[in-house]
Amino acid sequence: MGVNLAGLVTHEVKLLEDFRGKAIAIDAYNALYQFLSIIRQPDGTPLMDRTGRVTSHLSGLFYRTSNILREGVLPVYVFDGAPHPLKRGVLEGRMRVRRRAEKEWKKAVREGDLETARTKAQQTALLTEEMIKSSTELLGLMGVPVAQALQDGEAQASYMASKGDVWGTGSQDYDSLLYGCPRLVKNLAISGRRKLPRRREYVEVNIELIDLKASLENIGINREQLVDMSILMGTDFNDGIRGIGPKRALSLIQEHGDLESVMRAKDIVIEDLEEVRHIFLRPRLTDDYQLEWREPDGEGIIELLCDEFHFSQDRVVSALRRIKVGLLNREQSKLDKWF
Amino acid sequence: MFSAKIKSEVLREITDVISTLVDEAKFNISPDSLSVRAVDPAHVAMVDMSVDKAAFEEYKADEGELGIDLDKIKEVLRLARSGDVISLDHDEDRNRLVVHVGNITRQMSLVDTAGMSDPKVPNLDLPAKIVLRTNEMRQGIKASESVSDHIALVAHSDGFEMISEGDADTVRLDLPKDLLDELQCKEKVRSLFPLDYFSNMVKAISGTSTLTIHLGNDYPVRMEFTFAGENGRATYLLAPRIESE
Repeated sequence: MGVNLAGLVTHEVKLLEDFRGKAIAIDAYNALYQFLSIIRQPDGTPLMDRTGRVTSHLSGLFYRTSNILREGVLPVYVFDGAPHPLKRGVLEGRMRVRRRAEKEWKKAVREGDLETARTKAQQTALLTEEMIKSSTELLGLMGVPVAQALQDGEAQASYMASKGDVWGTGSQDYDSLLYGCPRLVKNLAISGRRKLPRRREYVEVNIELIDLKASLENIGINREQLVDMSILMGTDFNDGIRGIGPKRALSLIQEHGDLESVMRAKDIVIEDLEEVRHIFLRPRLTDDYQLEWREPDGEGIIELLCDEFHFSQDRVVSALRRIKVGLLNREQSKLDKWF
Repeated sequence: MFSAKIKSEVLREITDVISTLVDEAKFNISPDSLSVRAVDPAHVAMVDMSVDKAAFEEYKADEGELGIDLDKIKEVLRLARSGDVISLDHDEDRNRLVVHVGNITRQMSLVDTAGMSDPKVPNLDLPAKIVLRTNEMRQGIKASESVSDHIALVAHSDGFEMISEGDADTVRLDLPKDLLDELQCKEKVRSLFPLDYFSNMVKAISGTSTLTIHLGNDYPVRMEFTFAGENGRATYLLAPRIESE
């Protein structure tokens, strides 16, 4: 989930091609969960192969990544390592939501309430070891690099961006900003038309670029203060203070400077404060990754997706063509840049 | 209204200049000239050309526009013998172009121009100017094509170079100042371009003897030339490749 900073940061709408030639580190778990929750049939049933194995994650990963590659953008997927002990609370909470949603989904399907069924089904998405394995295998065949984080994937992706090894991170969360990532790209993997939950309406989901420096200047605080205000609101690693949202958290930090002063002034206690700060400001990171984009192994991809998971060969072949176009596009600029 | 007669060679020159970048084009018609401005589907290159009335054997037109499928014009040109005059008349009632070549009449349906806007021409500040013989350049491209898929254009105070570096081989065309018609270049500039585009553009201007190149550092190149016996003028713009270290 991450921290919700939507109202505070500066968003700039972008096109995929604006990132041509740029490497972007994508939070893999975040992307795969998006695919698992969005790519479903009207009654909420995920995509499956003939033997009943879920394939929504592979479908999303393959088709979206081929669109990204087509525009000459260079994705690298960063996978989570072992979760930080403080994240267990959030993970257990999500498990409970998932179990409840499972029941509600089945009930809604029985009652023929498709809208509820789909919404509930989306909350049941669960990323399994098997799915992670097939995802990394697919990315390897696509010639797309993968990095393994020690803990949080988004922390590692942000580190790679801060170092300048990649241009920015790709995630639906704002946590990258807390981790000090200079540029965060939202909706990179899921832009396009998307159905609104519980409504027969579609919205255009745009790719948005969020610049850390501009965002911080805009609200007049530094990154340490951004971390403090997020801890006040609650993060994946702590509960936060009930009733404090982004606006209130910001004004408290602006007024008092840091979280200790806010706690003293408001007589509140945040457990594990130093530990949570440490997670965002000094996470465990690794330099053990390689950023190399290779030509896709077309035959291998067809073997995996079509033979093993029963994807339509025509669609896979046409996506492969998009990847090939991308290899040429990668180094070619467009005239639009000079208009 | 639009009614014109044109020598097949001249129509071929006009068609080639445009069709190297687009399959369909909107021709802007005016009483004195005809012009096209178009960007290729990948937005990598642009053509901006106009042909004066004098290029035609006969030419009568009001202001207007014609959406033309250039492949169809090429089909007509294949029917023409050297020296043939082709007549083109706009049948406004049925929105068709009536084309006569020899004893053949082709009723050509037009392309809807509603979605075809005239692209803006970017204002580029390009420090180097080179005027050279098109033939010299053609040799350089021919030599490069077997080696690489891109070509670097380099200008410095002593001359102009075209360099193609492949994985194994390198081809270089050196044109010192005295082999150029004109050279204005204070500091060395270099930009890298996709060879397929560059080659197709240079091939498309077969009837042209000299070419003016405006070049910058990692910037688009602007190539200006005349054709159709000096009655046509065109500019090509080509976006550079991004050089990776």
